Amino acid sequence: MEMEEGEGSTEEKYDVEIATTASSLGGSGVFHIINDILGFVLYMHQQIPSVLQDMSLDFDGLQTEFTDLEAHLTQPDVKPVVRRKLLSSKREVKHEIKKMQKLMTTISTLQSALQLLIREAPDIQRVVLILGGSPLRPQKAYELLFTRGDNGLSFEGDFSKSKATEALSKKTIRALISTGAGSTSCPGPMRLFVLVQAPPSLNLPQDFLPKRDFRYNRKFVPLKLRFKCKTQDNETNSPFNSGTNDLIWFQCRHIVPCPLKLIEVSLSLVNNTQASILAGNRSTLLRRRKKMIFKIEDVTVYFPYDNIYPEQYEYMVELKRALDAKGHCLLEMPTGTGKTIALLSLITSYRLSRPDSPIKLVYCTRTVHEMEKTLGELKILHDYQLTHLGAQAKILALGLSSRKNLCVNSKVLAAENRDSVDAACRKRTASWVRALAAENPNVQLCDYFESYEKAADNALLPPGVYTLEDLRAFGKNRGWCPYFLARHMVQFANVIVYSYQYLLDPKVAGIISKELQKESVIVFDEAHNIDNVCIEALSVSVRRVTLEGANRNLNKIRQEIDRFKATDAGRLRAEYNRLIEGLALRGDLSGTDQWLANPALPNDILKEAVPGNIRRAEHFVHVLRRLLQYLGGRLDTENVEKESPVSFVSSLNSQAGIEQKTLKFCYDRLHSLMMTLEITDTDEFLPIQTICDFATLVGTYARGFSIIIEPYDERMPHIPDPILQLSCHDASLAIKPVFDRFQSVVITSGTLSPIDLYPRLLSFNPVVSRSFKMSMTRDCICPMVLTRGSDQLPVSTKFDMRSDPGVVRNYGKLLVEMVSVVPDGVVCFFVSYSYMDGIIATWNETGILKEITQQKLVFFETQDVVETTLALDNYRRACDCGRGAVFFSVARGKVAEGIDFDRHYGRLVVMFGVPFQYTLSKILLARLEYLRDTFQIKEGDFLTFDALRQAAQCVGRVIRSKADYGMMIFADKRLPLQTCRYSRHDKRSKLPGWILSHLRDAHLNLSTDMAIHIAREFLRKMAQPYDKTGTMGRKTLLTQEDLEKMAETGVQDMVY
Amino acid sequence: MSNQRKRPNGEREEDDEEDDAEGIGQWERAYVDDRSWEALQEDESGLLRPIDTSAIYHAQYRRRLRMLSAAAAGTRIQKGLIRYLYIVIDFSRAAAETDFRPSRMAIMAKHVEAFIREFFDQNPLSQIGLVSIKNGIAHTLTDLGGSPESHIQALMGKLEAAGDSSLQNALELVHEHLNQIPSYGHREVLILYSALSTSDPGDIMETIQKCKKSRLRCSVIGLSAEMFICKHLCQETGGLYSVAVDEVHLKDLLLEHAPPPPAIAEFAISNLIKMGFPQRAAEGSMAICSCHKEVKIGAGYTCPRCKARVCELPTECTICGLTLVSSPHLARSYHHLFPIAPFDEVPTLSSSNDPRRKLGKSCFGCQQSLLGAGNKPGPCVTCRKCKHYFCLDCDIYIHESLHNCPGCESTHRPKSVSLLEE
Repeated sequence: MEMEEGEGSTEEKYDVEIATTASSLGGSGVFHIINDILGFVLYMHQQIPSVLQDMSLDFDGLQTEFTDLEAHLTQPDVKPVVRRKLLSSKREVKHEIKKMQKLMTTISTLQSALQLLIREAPDIQRVVLILGGSPLRPQKAYELLFTRGDNGLSFEGDFSKSKATEALSKKTIRALISTGAGSTSCPGPMRLFVLVQAPPSLNLPQDFLPKRDFRYNRKFVPLKLRFKCKTQDNETNSPFNSGTNDLIWFQCRHIVPCPLKLIEVSLSLVNNTQASILAGNRSTLLRRRKKMIFKIEDVTVYFPYDNIYPEQYEYMVELKRALDAKGHCLLEMPTGTGKTIALLSLITSYRLSRPDSPIKLVYCTRTVHEMEKTLGELKILHDYQLTHLGAQAKILALGLSSRKNLCVNSKVLAAENRDSVDAACRKRTASWVRALAAENPNVQLCDYFESYEKAADNALLPPGVYTLEDLRAFGKNRGWCPYFLARHMVQFANVIVYSYQYLLDPKVAGIISKELQKESVIVFDEAHNIDNVCIEALSVSVRRVTLEGANRNLNKIRQEIDRFKATDAGRLRAEYNRLIEGLALRGDLSGTDQWLANPALPNDILKEAVPGNIRRAEHFVHVLRRLLQYLGGRLDTENVEKESPVSFVSSLNSQAGIEQKTLKFCYDRLHSLMMTLEITDTDEFLPIQTICDFATLVGTYARGFSIIIEPYDERMPHIPDPILQLSCHDASLAIKPVFDRFQSVVITSGTLSPIDLYPRLLSFNPVVSRSFKMSMTRDCICPMVLTRGSDQLPVSTKFDMRSDPGVVRNYGKLLVEMVSVVPDGVVCFFVSYSYMDGIIATWNETGILKEITQQKLVFFETQDVVETTLALDNYRRACDCGRGAVFFSVARGKVAEGIDFDRHYGRLVVMFGVPFQYTLSKILLARLEYLRDTFQIKEGDFLTFDALRQAAQCVGRVIRSKADYGMMIFADKRLPLQTCRYSRHDKRSKLPGWILSHLRDAHLNLSTDMAIHIAREFLRKMAQPYDKTGTMGRKTLLTQEDLEKMAETGVQDMVY
Repeated sequence: MSNQRKRPNGEREEDDEEDDAEGIGQWERAYVDDRSWEALQEDESGLLRPIDTSAIYHAQYRRRLRMLSAAAAGTRIQKGLIRYLYIVIDFSRAAAETDFRPSRMAIMAKHVEAFIREFFDQNPLSQIGLVSIKNGIAHTLTDLGGSPESHIQALMGKLEAAGDSSLQNALELVHEHLNQIPSYGHREVLILYSALSTSDPGDIMETIQKCKKSRLRCSVIGLSAEMFICKHLCQETGGLYSVAVDEVHLKDLLLEHAPPPPAIAEFAISNLIKMGFPQRAAEGSMAICSCHKEVKIGAGYTCPRCKARVCELPTECTICGLTLVSSPHLARSYHHLFPIAPFDEVPTLSSSNDPRRKLGKSCFGCQQSLLGAGNKPGPCVTCRKCKHYFCLDCDIYIHESLHNCPGCESTHRPKSVSLLEE
């Protein structure tokens, strides 16, 4: 390699040519390019731990670590083992700091030397960066050539980085990378030398040594870069035509030592993280990577945040044990402590640690919003795991929802509710419709579904995390129907997020969830109402309207049958033959042991054939007619009637001649008939489906249900509104197949107290049931129980007291006073809509409402969803702009279940009364009776439990994170009795532990004025700035180090 | 060590006293959490030893000092010495509440008065204006001016509370006033807000953005609870938001605003300001002063440019608009730029066999003995530079009033002189 300085005639080849649009680079430009390439070279050849810009950050990190360690050491009660470890790691850190400091000072002096140089001689042309043992034996060399503009380089005075320069240096680095520079790392410690070609007049003895004679080894080829300016394209070939002989080389005195091979150290550390953590041989380097990896017993958990709450850690430990035991568990942890992420990260990590038996995670949420939130968290976690583990961490996770949320066909989406979207979809995708379309081009089909069908087995989702939005986007992109794609992918997915109904509702579960294998982990999040969901899934109510609709449906079916008889009698015959052979042979009910045992269809049904009297379509319609007539007759009753399914069936048999076995098959027979008749607008046939559902349930279950017929609503006895209800009393019926079939079912929520009641209600045996407290840096919740008004008279929503004007006035006064003390948002919960309406009317008359509006605006929840949403929106706006607002809402309403009032949107929740269920309701009474007889749960116990979990749910809305704070007032004289009785004497609290632990004895029996005082004090205290991480005594944010220490010393003594 | 152990107990004691001062029913407080009785100590003869409050007080002071110096550590922060501050006082209905005795209003007025005096003491080149909110409307009590007396007079004359409060109106008014002042001055607003809501005529978010744009630094001191909008305002405009727990705390929070805040970086471009140093008029000379339009004999200063007579310094000449100051004012502002580093605490236990300790048995400031009761070494501090010892009282005095270390001044005199000459 010839490299003659000053010989312009030799044609040189450049590896990288960079052209700038600027006429000349200017001194600062040159400096920044050199500087950036310097950083690049160092970084790419793994001589410095991070890019130059981030060095100071790393340095600061080390420094804080050092001080932390020192602080730890000074503590008096450090065990000797720990102390030794700390000392060694401290030495390590100190050493590193020193190295880093040296490196940083060298680099900065080098930079300033370069600046000086450019100031002195702005027209430098060649700069060589040499990496190696000495300049004569280079390992790598980068030669930078700056061609001069016509006007020469001039120095503008400051070294600020212009945009153009930045772009240029970025371009250079990109070009360097594309040529493969820096792809090989150099073995051994090396030094970086900087050589500059400059006129001999340069006199900077402090920084630069003149070096007359410099050339490389013969064999060595440096990487050359040339920066070309625009104006001198004509003379590129002879860049050194003037005075080149005058230039000599200067070697910079400052040599970057590059002593650190930090990158490699930390890489190797990552590889044996498990070993090092176990051995307690924690390296300080681990800390600088921002996220956490730690061991729980034998599972390495990847946690995508820098810190972890102690309760999250414990939660994971318990969960892991439950998974190990392959059992079910019940975990209560307050909202706002990151339950979801703890759960997800443990289960996915668990999956990774057991590659031989991959478990599937099925995560059930209550709302679509929660589903999206969960998937969002999972995305963060997945990205983190990917960066750490690479391809092996790849999972497929998707959310599954109804067609309404997943459909991308604009025509289908135009339908207003869920059922009509379903029907519109079926109208385009049912098999006979598509068959028809093959002949008749006028029939509308869904393009998305068609292309999905065309792709057939190739229609697969690549691994990744898909929210509903992602699924829609993917579907739109490919032209595949996202709904069917998602349903198809469920069997391949590692994580599925969907709604409770897909598992609990037997009708849906049979279709969606049958392919899940036994090894799945089922999670029910926000599961405090799971018993109600189960019951609702199996309860049916029939009204007059339903019967009328069903009659119309039957007429239509009748017409269809006649039409088919005339045109296509073969179809009906084929169906008849199929039914003789039995339902089991139908394609979608294949009786393998894998599929979810349908509670509505006990196993033996599969072995039986459909009874003869409903095999024929006409006969089935007749049977349904008779059933409808019978039901109509029952609805005409004057009195409330309550019956067990057994007696109902027997009277049905005697009066209408329909026997139990016939009833049992109704639902499936209808289904089959509708398929045969090619009925697509299923939403119109809802009434008859309801009736058949009812018939099947009545026919199937003899226990756990009752039939209640009420001629009018209890609350409005003058309006006849007969209703026949088949109500399920036993929540365990619907959930039993889930428990039986899957190895682990996790039930978790913020409020599951008392935690021993749930296993009884759902009749299962949890291997782990625990309630976690919230660790807080400060007492950020302030629950109070208010029993007396300002006039010291008791307040309550007990039935005999609730309309007492004194109580209403006291409640009003409480609110007026509170509103003047509490800033921003206040939320009030009432026990029912009717009570809320009544009390607000009274407040309006007595002027209390007016007093409230002086302080804050007032908003109401109504039964209309749109109105409520609007009210909520305005409420938030009023809170934002400082006007302040009160929101009146109802326990058990939509707002209480799903809307968060975090931060300033809810500084105070007032719970007026205890939200007991309507105890005179026949259904409730029947259920209570059943609970008492079957599970030995006392009526009172269940009612209080239910009321208090609703109350806890309401007040729990106010606090959604640890930085948040809020007050909770339970205004009822009955409450202290209950809380005291259970907390003190029985040690069985019905309020969740995280509320009870903040409920001081002094706050159990307050009157209005005392509550006001406490509120004032509390709000002032909370307004003070505070330390998020907590002090040493009460740590609430754990870092990786803390966790490892905990692993050594045991969990308990660290956390509390 | 004993000092450290004493401190947490001491704090608890403090809290107790504060609570008592507020006059809460004591039975309400959960003593279980407090454990204040454990703070009591017995001496050798079994008598209860009174708790040494001076050490506690000093510890608190040091914490504050450390906080301040930590904020200023590292780079030298530019400070805005010429401040134009509007104090907005909320005299709405909520100001009449009596959770501060005798009323929030009276307490606010009392401490604002102290603040104004302290403010002019620390920032002689700055000016203050007063605005009050009443019945949802903001009123200007006094325009920007440099005389503490006139502000205090105007404030005390208007002590009544009524109606709603409106943050937006106040901000609009102040914005209007402050928008006109020259660019070298630092525009600040300090709001004492006792209400918990604001009834505004328009969108307050726009007003906040407007304030942000014209670089108003808005700080709020709440008297009852944290309000979202106030927090938002302070975050946006770079001010401080704090809520007073009690009267003492309120006073502390207010006085925190007396030293000049660090200048906003993009705004801190230094430029030259024209100032006049007027001479004091001769005794007995008679002239009509330009500020009050009254005939005055003797007292007063003469503007060096237009020869108009003004009564007080610092001020702006009403005739020619020149800023008039005296050299002591400038000097007094100077110390904010070069604060003395906080002194190091001398550990008391280990010190008895420390040879250095023998050097200073008495405080270098007041020459009092540093030995406490029973010939035990009492708590003391030492200057990092000159290594002289000081007692706790002198420590406070040096940092808060003197702003010079007597030790450094006496030993390093030649060097400091040469530094000045440089």
